[in-house]
Amino acid sequence: MRALQWFRDCLTSIHDVARGWKSQGKPVIGWTCTYTPEEVIYAADVLPVMVVGDLGGTKLADAYMPSNSCSFARSCFNAALRGDYDYLDGFVESNSCDNRGKIFDMWAHYTRIPNIYFINTPHTNTAKAHEFFYEEVVKFKEWLENTLGKPIFDHDLKKAIEVYNTNRLLLKKVYDLRMKHPPLISGAEALEISLSSTMTPKEEHNELLTQLLNEIPSSSSLPKEGVRLLVSGSVMDNTELIKIIEAVGGSVVADDWCTGSRYFWNLVDEGDEPLRAIARRYLDKVPSSFMYSHEERFKHVVEMAKRYDVEAAIIFVLKFCDTHMFDAPLLRDELKALGLPVLYLEWEHSMSGIAGLKTRIEAFIEMVGGVK
Amino acid sequence: MSERGLQTLRGFYRNYIKKYYEDAHRAKAEKRPVAWVTSTFPIETLQAMDIFPVWPENFASVCAARQASVALCERAEKEGFSRDLCSYSRCVLGSMFGEEKDLPEGGLPKPDFLVTTTCACDTHLKWFQVASRMYKAPLFLLDVPYNISGADSNSLEKAHIEFYVSQLEELFSSLEKQTGTRLDKNKLRDTVALSNQTSELWMEIQDYRRNIPCPMDARDAFSAVFFMLCIPSAQLAVDFYTTLRNEVRERAKNKVGVIENEKFRLIWDNLPLWFNLKIFEYLNSLGAVVVAETFSHVWAGNLDPSKPFESLARKYLPNFANASVKRKIDMVLSLAKDFSVHGIILPANWGCRMMSIGETIVREVVYKKLGVPSLIIDVDSSDWRNYNEAQVKDRFETFFETLNRKQ
Repeated sequence: MRALQWFRDCLTSIHDVARGWKSQGKPVIGWTCTYTPEEVIYAADVLPVMVVGDLGGTKLADAYMPSNSCSFARSCFNAALRGDYDYLDGFVESNSCDNRGKIFDMWAHYTRIPNIYFINTPHTNTAKAHEFFYEEVVKFKEWLENTLGKPIFDHDLKKAIEVYNTNRLLLKKVYDLRMKHPPLISGAEALEISLSSTMTPKEEHNELLTQLLNEIPSSSSLPKEGVRLLVSGSVMDNTELIKIIEAVGGSVVADDWCTGSRYFWNLVDEGDEPLRAIARRYLDKVPSSFMYSHEERFKHVVEMAKRYDVEAAIIFVLKFCDTHMFDAPLLRDELKALGLPVLYLEWEHSMSGIAGLKTRIEAFIEMVGGVK
Repeated sequence: MSERGLQTLRGFYRNYIKKYYEDAHRAKAEKRPVAWVTSTFPIETLQAMDIFPVWPENFASVCAARQASVALCERAEKEGFSRDLCSYSRCVLGSMFGEEKDLPEGGLPKPDFLVTTTCACDTHLKWFQVASRMYKAPLFLLDVPYNISGADSNSLEKAHIEFYVSQLEELFSSLEKQTGTRLDKNKLRDTVALSNQTSELWMEIQDYRRNIPCPMDARDAFSAVFFMLCIPSAQLAVDFYTTLRNEVRERAKNKVGVIENEKFRLIWDNLPLWFNLKIFEYLNSLGAVVVAETFSHVWAGNLDPSKPFESLARKYLPNFANASVKRKIDMVLSLAKDFSVHGIILPANWGCRMMSIGETIVREVVYKKLGVPSLIIDVDSSDWRNYNEAQVKDRFETFFETLNRKQ
């Protein structure tokens, strides 16, 4: 399948799409938190790309970031110090976790990237929080206009909303291919697809998704169905762990990553004034664990577990991700209450200790599969 | 060295901390409203409503000082809470899972409700969400904008103050519903005025530490700061700080110092090692004295009783825990100058991102601007498993050798 291959390739050379965009003389802005109102960036004909890490160690970053800081953040910072992100025309950060607030300082102080901006993101979605965040989004738009030296019109915003909503609906359709028995795409493929969406112009991504959906039904090489699993956690920016699961008899059919379902689950209201609608969508979406309304995320996970007919769940907690470390035992209890076996794993972004994780995943899948 | 401690602080634990926990348990027994609260929450609001504030963070430090914290942390870990989490939170969560009779000071009275804020860290909110679920008690959150420009209380953004004030209004109406008592505006004014008086006395005490030799050590400061943090709006706080101020003033006048020959005057950032406050005596033995803690300089605020809400916003919003590292750099620079400091100790707390990331920037900028070196050490406030004493002492000694060469 050509589309699937494209998504895979996109992740093996993550900067190619952005560099291609740059070669047309158009700017690229990096972001790290899925609470960044990307539509506003896209409306300015700027490519928003999620900054991700890699598995190559964090030697450069370790000189400045302590070993008890988020290993994903350290990996991203390492990539920036190495110059991988020198093509960025700007970088947007927010206070959506304690690591992030300080990462703003780290990027501003130690990297060469120009135009570093901070969006103040409330942790509640009350009427007052919405009003505050709307003003933040207005300021962000004005900052973009000043930085780029051109206005962003309402019709640009509306167009961006439309394109983004289409992407979200298509991604949901792709996800639903995994409701089938056996699932029509693997968990690793699903992650490649959602991750590639964070770094590809959405119009192009939409075409590829449409192509994929046309290609799938004619596919004869369906993956074998293993133990149907839901995976949950903060960020997952590579497919290593999912590949391990699927190599030892698991089928990842649902996820709760901020680079997975939480990235695209909710739409922007197209009937409302565009900036207001954008701001509202982000504060009201399936929340990340830093939000006061964190129990809404548990509900989302429980719904996903039912919708995708899962047999067990694995909660992955990225080392030093405080908000998820606090949520994990609560989420575990919620899933256990559904009668699902749950495995709780802490992982380092660099994948050190991967052998131990693999053994535990294998034993867990064997245990669940044996009961089946 | 300990005889150099202040008279006023003798028996502090027995006379004040122990009594505070007895009061808390009594309030609970008498069915008065009891709320759990975290630092950087405007505690004055609770005191104005006669709600008894219970401080889990203080309890964790008590457990650490009594060498009871690690066993409690382990209990929380057994329930699935990661060992990399804040040791304060693990210690208190652990205390919730076990027998109350085993706990220092009988543990914490159960909350009728909980209040917290995003003004210091995510951990406060997340930890209290867990407690709120466990006790089936409501949690009220003061959602605070992040001070990314590093503004001080006079230069805060208007939108930030407005967002804060509007939430205080909502908070009071929630507290009114929760307790069935109306907020008495006069009482709020008095509470704020009392807190302001406590702040002024505390800052006066800190100012005497500019003297050479320094009349007050970190160990005493980390005990005495209790009132500033936990119950600033109390006559008891004003009385205690008045006595303390008099003693410190007297010492400063007579040039009585913690140590006689001060070789190194230091700033101590963040939290102490509550399980090992003797480390400050060890520093004294090497000719070093901590003359200022950032922790002692973040809890004061000029409160205007005629504008209680706005004053509280201006007091709490600029806390460096909620700000770009610029805010901490500004504070360290001014302390280093005002207190004739030779070196800065930057303890990175294992379970705390906010106190760990960015310390290299502080070290770099302060050195560039003032030529004052910093030492970053890996520690933990309450979990001694994350602390290697031999290694830390070794690093202190090397650091002092460097300072010696400089002088």
